[in-house]
Amino acid sequence: MNIYIYGIIDFNEEMAEAITGLGGANIYNIPYRDIGALASDLDAPVRNTDEDRVLEHEMALEKIMKNFTILPMRFLTVFDKKDNVISMLNEHYSDFREDLDRLRDKVEFGIKTIWPGAIIRERIENAYRKAQDNLSSSTESPGKSFMKEKFGKYKIDKEFEEEADKCIAIIDDFLNRFVAEKRLEKLKTDNLLLDAAYLVDKEKQGDFKKAFEELKTSPGDLKYLFSGPWPPYNFVTKTNTRHDHE
Amino acid sequence: MDKIVTPQDKDSSLDILKEKKVTLLEVLDRALNKGVVISGDIVISLAEVDLIYVGLKLLVSSVETMERLRGAPMSGAKEEAT
Repeated sequence: MNIYIYGIIDFNEEMAEAITGLGGANIYNIPYRDIGALASDLDAPVRNTDEDRVLEHEMALEKIMKNFTILPMRFLTVFDKKDNVISMLNEHYSDFREDLDRLRDKVEFGIKTIWPGAIIRERIENAYRKAQDNLSSSTESPGKSFMKEKFGKYKIDKEFEEEADKCIAIIDDFLNRFVAEKRLEKLKTDNLLLDAAYLVDKEKQGDFKKAFEELKTSPGDLKYLFSGPWPPYNFVTKTNTRHDHE
Repeated sequence: MDKIVTPQDKDSSLDILKEKKVTLLEVLDRALNKGVVISGDIVISLAEVDLIYVGLKLLVSSVETMERLRGAPMSGAKEEAT
């Protein structure tokens, strides 16, 4: 029988509340020292790994998160026997312990910010070309034109990024006061200005949401996708495995 | 998953569909790409997860397509959106 692991918690006793996981299986705690791995038995290999299974994984984590600090495992972390789960807990104990202390009573929020990237880029391009038209002469060599074109693209990209940086600084300024840690990714696409994950103390959730409400009402052509609270997926230490291939 | 708030213009079935897809996208992004990774001999590898990645790419595509077609903001995340 295989064992599916949902996450690591700061608790080494039996779960008081009945929580179900993948396929409706009961979730139980596998204790090790002062922590535990939340697990459920898998009678058969997971065959239908569709979105429903991912949602079962996530829903279990969210129920657990209400009462415990949890380090969420990546979806489909499966062991073939309990001894191997214990070995894993033993091997990574100090990292788990450190993460559990750092992430205690904290949750994650996601904020994706969309901006009109194509329009902004076009505006920058037009301004640049207009300035160049005023300077260019009709007797330019093909080589010089080529280099100018390359340099122009570099200048436009740089200005586009600088504009993005300014916008992100304003957004971050609204939210930063209530944040313990953050992960900001800029311009994953031209239109996705910011993909941000914020780690917020549970007690400051209300303040963080209020700050976001203020941000929403500030002028500008930005659109936001706010999500959370999530288990701290983006803030667990990624290197807490010896064989991490990431 | 217990905190989904419907988008402001919830009468539209397209918006409800979009809300579900965007919520799912947020879940998939985290559960498949983040979290504690344990690898090595003691963990069973499950190849089927690749199928979800394919699905995820399709989902991203569909959300972007909807955005482009409607020219409207993304809405209806797990908790709220504007």
